[in-house]
Amino acid sequence: MASITFENVTKRFGDTVAVDDVSFEIRDNAFFCLFGPPLSGKSTILKLILGLEQPDEGEILIDGRPVSHVNPARRNVAMVFQNLALFPHMTALDNVCFPLVERRIAKEEIDAKVCDVSEKLHIGHILHKTPAQLSGGERQRVAIARALVRDPVAYLMDDPISALDARLREQTRVELRRIQQELGKTLVYVTHDQEEAMSVADMMAVFKDGKICQTGTPDTLYQRPNSTYVAGMLGAPAMNVLPMNMADMLGALAGPNGSKHFGVRPENLRITKGSDAMISEVEPLGGSTTVHITAGDVALTSTMLGQPQFEAGTQIGLAVNSGQTLFFDGAGNTLAAAQ
Amino acid sequence: MTEIVLENLGKKFGEFTALNGMNLTIANGEFVALLGPSGCGKSTTMNMIAGMLDPTEGEIRFSGKKMNGVPMGRRGVGFVFQNYAIFTHMTVRENLAYGLKAQGESASQTKRRVDDIAELLQLTDLLDRKAAGLSVNILQRLAIGRSAVVEPSIFLLDEPLSNVDAAFRSVMRSELKALQRQFKQTMVYVTHDQLEAMTMADRIAVMDHGKLLQVGTPLEVYNNPVDTFVARFIGAPGMNLLKGHVGSADGAASVDLGATGRTKVVDAKSKGDVIFGFRPEEVKPDPKGELHMAVTMVEHIGARTILHLMEGQHEAKAVLPAGSDVPNQGDIFHFNVPGTAVRLFDATTERAL
Amino acid sequence: MTDMTSNTPSRSQSQSAADEGAGREEKRLGFALTLPAQLLVLFIALFPILMQVYISLTDWSPLDGIPWYRAYELWIGLTNYVDLAGDPRFWSAIWRTLIVMLICVPVQFLLGLGLAILFVDEFPGRRAMYSTILVPMMVVPAVAGYMFFMLFQSGGPINGILSFLLGSSVQIAWLSDPDLALLGVIISDIWQWTPLMFLILLAGMLSVPQDQQMAAVLLGAGWWRRFFTIVLPRMKTIIVIAIAIRVIENFKVFDNFYIITGGGPGVATETISIYIYKVTQNDLIWGYVAAIALAILIVLSIVSGMAISRMRKG
Repeated sequence: MASITFENVTKRFGDTVAVDDVSFEIRDNAFFCLFGPPLSGKSTILKLILGLEQPDEGEILIDGRPVSHVNPARRNVAMVFQNLALFPHMTALDNVCFPLVERRIAKEEIDAKVCDVSEKLHIGHILHKTPAQLSGGERQRVAIARALVRDPVAYLMDDPISALDARLREQTRVELRRIQQELGKTLVYVTHDQEEAMSVADMMAVFKDGKICQTGTPDTLYQRPNSTYVAGMLGAPAMNVLPMNMADMLGALAGPNGSKHFGVRPENLRITKGSDAMISEVEPLGGSTTVHITAGDVALTSTMLGQPQFEAGTQIGLAVNSGQTLFFDGAGNTLAAAQ
Repeated sequence: MTEIVLENLGKKFGEFTALNGMNLTIANGEFVALLGPSGCGKSTTMNMIAGMLDPTEGEIRFSGKKMNGVPMGRRGVGFVFQNYAIFTHMTVRENLAYGLKAQGESASQTKRRVDDIAELLQLTDLLDRKAAGLSVNILQRLAIGRSAVVEPSIFLLDEPLSNVDAAFRSVMRSELKALQRQFKQTMVYVTHDQLEAMTMADRIAVMDHGKLLQVGTPLEVYNNPVDTFVARFIGAPGMNLLKGHVGSADGAASVDLGATGRTKVVDAKSKGDVIFGFRPEEVKPDPKGELHMAVTMVEHIGARTILHLMEGQHEAKAVLPAGSDVPNQGDIFHFNVPGTAVRLFDATTERAL
Repeated sequence: MTDMTSNTPSRSQSQSAADEGAGREEKRLGFALTLPAQLLVLFIALFPILMQVYISLTDWSPLDGIPWYRAYELWIGLTNYVDLAGDPRFWSAIWRTLIVMLICVPVQFLLGLGLAILFVDEFPGRRAMYSTILVPMMVVPAVAGYMFFMLFQSGGPINGILSFLLGSSVQIAWLSDPDLALLGVIISDIWQWTPLMFLILLAGMLSVPQDQQMAAVLLGAGWWRRFFTIVLPRMKTIIVIAIAIRVIENFKVFDNFYIITGGGPGVATETISIYIYKVTQNDLIWGYVAAIALAILIVLSIVSGMAISRMRKG
């Protein structure tokens, strides 16, 4: 169990600044998600926590103790790699035991630990199989078991399920969440999939170009993003960010002074009778429907539940659910909401 | 512009049957997705249409003309590979011109047509760049352009989005769909991602274990799956399927779901053991609901909330829209399923009743 | 707003100064730790060459009775090199080596490429054929030399077969006719080393992505177009490597040639290596030998340098 704190950490690789003056705190037992596009610094953060890289500036604290000069092996932080890195020629059991055998721990103790961990992860029945005989989800659990068996204070995962297919990803992310809740350990999780991030995380940090844009609960970040960037990164389809001159058309919205754009989530954009806009395309997803709309040369999307009947080419009007609008200044930062 | 007919198509690799008895007609200009898990036979089907594989059974016809045995270079098929198979040792222009040169087009014509397609796909500025090191969405456009420039009558796409980042996939999807509109060609698209199939295809052909299970528009397949496999495969999350027993209580047919409760069903044609299916989106929270299950996990994903439910042997999911009252993990969740939303499946064959 | 935006005040500015340059320090330490090993490797690689340079500037011979390190007593400067430039036997050996190379390498390349094309696709008996083709490569060159020595005897199997085919007795003196002797050794080299070329080229051909070739076919490209626009360009690097290996090896060819003809008749098949051997063993003027060896080393370095720069580009 551990909290992890970054204080003004900067890491450069040659001329590129991979992590740029980043500060945040991961509380004990949190499922903390680092989210952002590729190369935005997330994976470097993991390496810094592990001790595989040293910060150029700033300090990293684990449980309040600076660790910059602590040997990676002594930080007691475990990592589950993207490709899981299971040893293909060993059984699941040998894989799980590996970190303990390497440390020359007594056999009884190893047995007890493996028993404990495999019970928590429900892998007792598959321990005799080799990785090739396991399903994607099972392999995942074995890899986590191997990380856990040495009883780390925190464990880190770098995009561990991106290689699975869509259906398996949905199942595995729930599984990961359950496991983290049962184990009650700090988990730092890297992903570039917004749905996955929002699904699993207690807290998340949104990255861009080595900097953290915003930290908060998934709900906070979704409801109150502090910039058009964060707003755009979360939610699919993405938030409609529209010029202020469209505000009238969508029904009397008064933004605070300095508003240049306003943002409306697709689920808060309603289709009404009118002729301000036109439906360009309808995507029925079964449980919900996405409608692509053009108003002049602006493209918008609206999503609604169920299977409403719309047809491309229809003239429509638009309205916004009240109280669900964000306003942004010229630089894309969120202004305090005023209705 | 071509209609594709697959008649009783089959493919065996030694003892292994990769595809069996496939019948499918793809209309001129239609966008059909072959959807299924890996190993379901979708890629085998696609490769036979392209001519990379010879069928061991059945016939393939393009606009009435039998294609069995016609070499792939003569079928007029444009193929977009999973990794795009761009000739990275050539420039963008050389890639686009490849097919035209191969077909003996004159230099001036080649230049004109390459310029045209580059213009259409916004590749003009990149024409003299080496194809190595281009970004993935440009590679996709280049792959499509390279096939499109020779004006194939059919476009085949083999999971072109599977190597693309999640965040970028929706952009690529809409770009691809826009391109299909532009070219108006018959397109066959192979994917294992139901979302891609639902959002892009005119019709979806769901396959499993070398068999075609169902063909229909996205909504047909979503609303009326022919069996539990299709029910589970389509939708995110897939359909809930609970084992139950149809009997009559108080004169009306109802299904007994054991510990989960008992609910009325409209026009149950059969009695006895059934599989009771309903979409997670159709769950209606109701404190006095007929059904109840324990909440094991709550997922908030932006506007949607997914409840993971469990009761005895039964597991289910419920999707609640924004603004609903969301129960906590560990609570007992009471709900109803509207009669029209219920789909019943045979308990043994798992076919829709 | 309940956001925890991320800017806690900084604490450890002083710390950061100390950390700066930690990376450079680490690099220096790494260099220091590996220095002994690096020196050893350098010594192993460079010592023989430096020794040769040294000896080549002297008139030293093992018969002189002074140890090699005191060869400076016989210092003659660049005399050996001047002699070399005017040594007709040296130039004819070089010339002959070049001819052998210019025939062997292209023939081996084309044969190897042709075989590779045949073996890219599956066919019945492919495995067995494949192993058979590789056999010559595994034969010890000296043994191969004896094999061809026997084959080319005037009463040997080759003349026997020719007699059988032509229906009259053929008595060609393969190894005593200067032109035919050269042809004989060339044939033996081709026999032995085409398999290596084949092996390398096949590996290269198999590494050309299948889907790119498929894409070309689907775009209507025929076999030749596909081969010349996709397969060959993508094999460029490996072709350069294969040819460089054979060029270098051909320059050094010795054992089977020596056994088949001993460089004869006369000097008709005397390649540069055989010449060096004769000068070393018979004439015992080692300073001169060192000069020849260095001259060849320089030529070969240029060849491999060109190959390596080509590889870097590809």
